[in-house]
Amino acid sequence: MKMRILLPLAACGFAASLLGLAGCTTVNTVENAQKEGQRQMVTDLRAVTDASLARKVSIVGVNQAMTPGGLLKVQVELLNRTRSLQRFNYRFEWFDANGMQVNNVISAVIPDQIEGMESKMISSIAPSPSCKDFRVKFIEAN
Amino acid sequence: MKNKIILSLVAAAFPILVTGCATAHYVETGGRENVVSINQINVQDYIQAANAAVNDLLASGALDRVANPPAVLAMSRIVNNTGQQIDTDMLTKKIRVALLQSGKAVTTTTFGLGGTAEDPLAKGIQQESEFSNDQKTTRTPDFSLSGKIIETSVRAGSTRQTTYSFQLSLTDKQGLAVWEGEKEITKQGTREAVGF
Repeated sequence: MKMRILLPLAACGFAASLLGLAGCTTVNTVENAQKEGQRQMVTDLRAVTDASLARKVSIVGVNQAMTPGGLLKVQVELLNRTRSLQRFNYRFEWFDANGMQVNNVISAVIPDQIEGMESKMISSIAPSPSCKDFRVKFIEAN
Repeated sequence: MKNKIILSLVAAAFPILVTGCATAHYVETGGRENVVSINQINVQDYIQAANAAVNDLLASGALDRVANPPAVLAMSRIVNNTGQQIDTDMLTKKIRVALLQSGKAVTTTTFGLGGTAEDPLAKGIQQESEFSNDQKTTRTPDFSLSGKIIETSVRAGSTRQTTYSFQLSLTDKQGLAVWEGEKEITKQGTREAVGF
């Protein structure tokens, strides 16, 4: 009888320690309240097929700018809505004025991570001045 | 009886599962199914480093500040300070291709370290052309690209961690480093893994 009570208790303790190991570390931030910079926000179109990832690492917004050399620069703001570190992969794809994907030799699947409740920016620059549109793909890491 | 059936089913499925995982197949180069090594630079690391370098270089606008665009780039030395034998073209070729595609820079193949040309035939043709036309057609490079790859390894118990630093410098004709970039890639684990 004693064993029956002890076993679930031990299991609960083990689970709690695992949660502790997984780490519920969140991020505190401070920034200037009066912003000098103005973000040129983009109206975005989202396709969510992994609701689990979207719930954990959500897209706050997308803004764009032009580099001095006339290349499109895109920045995506992400927010980890959980209290633990999340790992994910992302990749930028670029398209020309005709909607054709621009072949890019350095198009990489980039592994990244984000702390609990952290807001993070990821960005990329178009591989050529002909790039007019973009798409960012997110995949949960293994 | 039931146990015997289950056991034989598991035994039959085991080789299928094992061989299924080990069967050779193609994966996307640099994709998330690639093998991740801790003490080795993987192909996805080169792609990531080149991606970061090109993004940073294009954003800086350093290549746009030349009199006659596109800028002419000469490849200098990339020092390998890692414990492994690597071909630095795995990094530099990707950067060259990306810069060429961007329209911001072209790389000379007839101007190299110590007077050695990457493409000796092209250099011969260029010299022949200059001789027959009696005029200099060679455009001296606006910039040279040099760099270093550094490996730093640490260990805590059975967990290993390696950081690869890809450092690059773009130097102009005055000998000034007008752009410098560094991308660090850190990998941690106890053993190699398939996928990331």
